[in-house]
Amino acid sequence: MNDIAFLEKKAYDLRKKVLDTCIRAKTGHVTSSMSCAEIMSVLFHGGILRYDPKRPDWPDRDRFILSKGQASPMLYAVLADAGYFDEAQLKAFAQKDGKFGVHLQQSVPGAEITCGSLGQGFGFAAGMALAAKMDLKNHMVYTLLGDGENQEGSIWETAMFASHNRLNNLVAILDRNYQCVLDFTENFLSLEPVDKKWEAFGWNVIRVEGQSVSELLNALHGLRSRRRPNPSIVIADTTKGAGIDFMSCVPLWHGAAPAGADAKQAVAELERNSPHA
Amino acid sequence: MPNPISQRDSFWNKIYEIAKNDRRVVIVSADMGAPSLDRFRRDLPGQFINVGIAEQNGILVASGLAREGKRPFFYAIAPFAVFRPIELTRVNNAIMKIPITIVGVGAGFSYEDSGPTHHLLEDIAVVRAFPNITVHSTSDATLAAAVAEQSCQWPTANYVRLDRQVLPDVHVGQTVDFKAGFAVLRSGKQAQLVATGYMVHKALKVADLLKADGIDLGVIDLFQLPCDGDALVKQIQAAPKLFTLEEHFLPGGLGSAILEMLADRGAALPVHRFGMGNPGTYSYVYGGREAIHASYGLSPEQIAADVRKALK
Repeated sequence: MNDIAFLEKKAYDLRKKVLDTCIRAKTGHVTSSMSCAEIMSVLFHGGILRYDPKRPDWPDRDRFILSKGQASPMLYAVLADAGYFDEAQLKAFAQKDGKFGVHLQQSVPGAEITCGSLGQGFGFAAGMALAAKMDLKNHMVYTLLGDGENQEGSIWETAMFASHNRLNNLVAILDRNYQCVLDFTENFLSLEPVDKKWEAFGWNVIRVEGQSVSELLNALHGLRSRRRPNPSIVIADTTKGAGIDFMSCVPLWHGAAPAGADAKQAVAELERNSPHA
Repeated sequence: MPNPISQRDSFWNKIYEIAKNDRRVVIVSADMGAPSLDRFRRDLPGQFINVGIAEQNGILVASGLAREGKRPFFYAIAPFAVFRPIELTRVNNAIMKIPITIVGVGAGFSYEDSGPTHHLLEDIAVVRAFPNITVHSTSDATLAAAVAEQSCQWPTANYVRLDRQVLPDVHVGQTVDFKAGFAVLRSGKQAQLVATGYMVHKALKVADLLKADGIDLGVIDLFQLPCDGDALVKQIQAAPKLFTLEEHFLPGGLGSAILEMLADRGAALPVHRFGMGNPGTYSYVYGGREAIHASYGLSPEQIAADVRKALK
């Protein structure tokens, strides 16, 4: 299996784990997780992030900050897959005696922060990147933002700060899935041209097809060498709910897990969309 | 006695001395300076970060730095340091327990002529509601320097509300007891008056006025919340009546905190709270801090008269 096929398979496996987890728990942000499956696959399995699941606090690890904390089921799935904790814990997601719930919590090995309120992880990541600069450390700080999160003012405070302070050890990835809870972003508070906005704030902007592992790999691969002084953002155009057709691009599927016949349909559609189907 | 300096300069002078030998100590400023910080910025530029007028990002960057082992001090005018980023403070510092020190200048009516946007009358109620954040409310430069030193090793987040005005030093020569969180400045048998910040000085004035009438009023400076509630209640019970005095709205403030401590321990005694009303009103009164206080019925003479009446 070549790298691309391997990463596509990983993305599919992660989706499957998230869907199983959320159907069992009857909760969780399924569609928000589905859109970033390829991003997470590439970060954790594509040689982008440097990490050691046996040492979650390894000082030289790359930091990964999930700023869109509602995609916690996807991070938990990838952390379990990477060996941070026993995958059986996913079965107790958001249930009695479970170790974690709907939003991200710092007690989970590899999670780094507690997050569920938007516009926070990004600034925290900038603080971590600044600390690395101060201490002459070489590790990188990666952070995954939601596009609705770009409506928070704090995001733009941090965007200004990071470029002014030349935090080229900071890489943001924007999961541009075009949807919030009620509607598509462009229908109620438009973000476009979002790439031009980030450029105007002094960032090195790379826009890619976010469901393409090869495009994501190309975008993320060279950033560690820091050929530019400014921080980078990879704007990944994705589909909210990608992999499950009837939940994709449908407002109000945010924050919900399919149940009953919907759950069966979701499993079947995901299976049909498997790269190896 | 040396000329008193401002709490702000006393605080930052101490931090400067510590930061010279400890590179973990960093200041994250929302474009806020001080004469005492000019030296810090000149000598330790790598430890001073101006995040601009962006308090949300300031809290986040400070928290990220703290997570990586720094000892950050986030610094802004107090109402903006506290209220603008409060939900971020809640997540990062209360929920995640990340220890940063939030330094706000402008307790109460410190910014006397700046109007209600700069007055600070709700912060104690708001911040003390959060677990994992300690409130330090300083009454003089000695206390401010002691709090600065403690802040570098405080195990949780810490909010320091500094007065802007230069006030006489009432703690000079004393060892500040952070385990207790309060200091008995004057003992009294008939009643006691617990105050914080600027109001500690007013409490001492009130005690002086009453002394002339033969009334023996004790004065306690409650400078930390949470404090040692058992010790404070024991101290309060040394007299049969209690007054509290704060430059803050009454709901949730200093007096409210003391009522809770008393009630939780089944300690019943008459309590009268002095503060900015319940419900409070914002002030557009100009002409100085005492003029503002008088408009709330809180001149030393007015308070003394109310105490006299209550003790009859």
